[in-house]
Amino acid sequence: MGRVLITGGAGYFGSILCDLALARGDDVRVLDLNPTGRADVEDIVADVRDADAVRKACAGVDVVLNNVAQVPLAKDRDLFWSVNVAGTANVLVAARDAGVGKVVHTSSSAIFGIPERNPVDESTPPRPLEAYGRAKTEAESLCREAAAGGLDVSIVRPRTILGHGRLGIMAVLFELVEAGAPVFVMGSGDNRYQLVHAEDLADAVLRAGDRPGAGTYNIGATDFGTMRETLTALCEHAGTGSRVVSVPVAPARLGMKALSTIGLAPFAPYHWLLYSESLWFDTAKARTELGWAPTRSNAQMVIESYDWFLSHRDEVHGGSHHTSPVKLGVMNVLKRVGGR
Amino acid sequence: MTDLAPSDTVVVTGAAGWLGQNLVRALGDRGRVRCLVASRDEVSPLELVSPSVEVVVGDVRDPATADRLLDGIGGDATVFHAAAIIHPARKVRDLFDVNVGGTQLVLDRARRAGVRRFVHVSSNSPFGANPTPVDRFDERSPYNPYMAYGRSKVEAEGIVRRSHERGDVSAVIVRPPWFYGPFQPERQSQWFRAVRTARFPVVGDGSQRRSMVYAGNLVHGLLRAEVAAAAPGRAWWIADPEPYELREILETVRAALSAEGLEVSGSLRSVPRLVGVVAEKVDGLLQSRGLYQQAVHVLGELKDTIACDVTAAQRELGYAPATTLLDGMRASIRWGLERGMQF
Repeated sequence: MGRVLITGGAGYFGSILCDLALARGDDVRVLDLNPTGRADVEDIVADVRDADAVRKACAGVDVVLNNVAQVPLAKDRDLFWSVNVAGTANVLVAARDAGVGKVVHTSSSAIFGIPERNPVDESTPPRPLEAYGRAKTEAESLCREAAAGGLDVSIVRPRTILGHGRLGIMAVLFELVEAGAPVFVMGSGDNRYQLVHAEDLADAVLRAGDRPGAGTYNIGATDFGTMRETLTALCEHAGTGSRVVSVPVAPARLGMKALSTIGLAPFAPYHWLLYSESLWFDTAKARTELGWAPTRSNAQMVIESYDWFLSHRDEVHGGSHHTSPVKLGVMNVLKRVGGR
Repeated sequence: MTDLAPSDTVVVTGAAGWLGQNLVRALGDRGRVRCLVASRDEVSPLELVSPSVEVVVGDVRDPATADRLLDGIGGDATVFHAAAIIHPARKVRDLFDVNVGGTQLVLDRARRAGVRRFVHVSSNSPFGANPTPVDRFDERSPYNPYMAYGRSKVEAEGIVRRSHERGDVSAVIVRPPWFYGPFQPERQSQWFRAVRTARFPVVGDGSQRRSMVYAGNLVHGLLRAEVAAAAPGRAWWIADPEPYELREILETVRAALSAEGLEVSGSLRSVPRLVGVVAEKVDGLLQSRGLYQQAVHVLGELKDTIACDVTAAQRELGYAPATTLLDGMRASIRWGLERGMQF
């Protein structure tokens, strides 16, 4: 228990992290562009690129959990860099100068691009393929430089985050399933694609925050299968008649890229490069050093997330890229054409 | 005359650049490191280096920025002027605005602040190519600038030298040749890739010689220029101890890539020296119209010997370069791999 600053605490993952931190009795302050609106949290509404605001937010804090990120759905490269890199540096400098005891930085599996071999562990070198991955890699370098300078900084790298309330790109999938339309996988769909439940990730972040000494941890579900298996489990659960259909990788990439370029569908290079590839983490280090263990499988996460979508679809508008459903544009057309 | 103690206060222009990043990290133990950067996004990553780093954001061509950079800087300070453009985005005009105009401004504000020493980072470009493969540039070599970049650096050296001779400010000129090391920009990744896959050509027979300097060696040279009693009023060549044949450089880079676990393919191939001559002519033609093409410029330079003699710096500045070409290249490659760069 202690005074905790959660940056990005009003976003999708940040708010789940808030829940867990509050539940264990932490005193929580949130820095975010949007207020959390919660009575039990001290809101600082500010941009992480505002160094003075970040400095004020770090004053008197024991632990900083840094979750601000400009996610792949925002396609502006300069924005990626300034939020993910300069923003992270702001947090690290402010934490150092305020004498913060521990910083946990939430990174991304995007730093690994398409790995040469799986599983990926903490000794695998980064190999980012697109702007988001490159910015997150640079942010990790800053964390290591801060750690070398004496600040206690740990890094947590999640696989694709899922859980109740997570929409963003998933809204595309859920809309199709709900309509009974075919669900497309790129290629055979036999790529092993690991997810992580937001609560399992939040647990890992809090455990990393409690453990003194810099460390890096790769975090993902233990029970996961291929992209096709995960989506098949969802289709079976939904019972809408949706089934999983393969489309060849090259035309699919081209199509996603084209739709995105003309602004009709919500895809970024991150999606068309990585969704058809295998990437899974060996999470042994997190288990051993943090005593962490995931509680949900890929299939459980997708189903839980889909059910949440069904019961909340009329309420979700506004908010961050990860909680608001993306503009579906041409996907609606696709749904009708491919559907019943 | 005895050497000075290192200044407690230092000012670094071009602090977020390739050399600047290396230099600032060597100055972390000073009391105050005032840095000039061009973009707001470069501020906090530099502040992370040390609590003594303070950053001023602005353009080195802007008088108000120069005012802020030297504001409150006392007489004990050293200025390291490393801000310059080497490969302009498209037009060569920027070379003169930044390399000459910027130097004039910073030098003027340094004089007004009464700083202890002004260390100016120059280049081999004011001297063109050596007349023979065994020739070495030294302090007495005549100016023979190579293209617009070379002319801009000649002008900048002239301003610095005259300022010293007038007694305005105690100034030192440091001339590094071909520079390499950590914090390399993206264009260096392309170069490593081209050498790794043997697409980077050996122009002519590859026996032309080039002096190179590792970032760590250059930083050491700059720190000696800051304190050495013999330094002011003179220009010093700072490079690895001996020049290398071009072919040897490329083979060493390939050995370094291989030692860092990367696959090296093909074998180095030569293109006739004439290709370099043609490239140089094209580069000259483009630059006479104010245009700049990096690939053409680099190709045009490759055919010649550009080598310098560092014995004066070794003898009189106490310059002692510690890192070899192989080790320096390996360190650069490791630095890039840790940051996810693809070579």
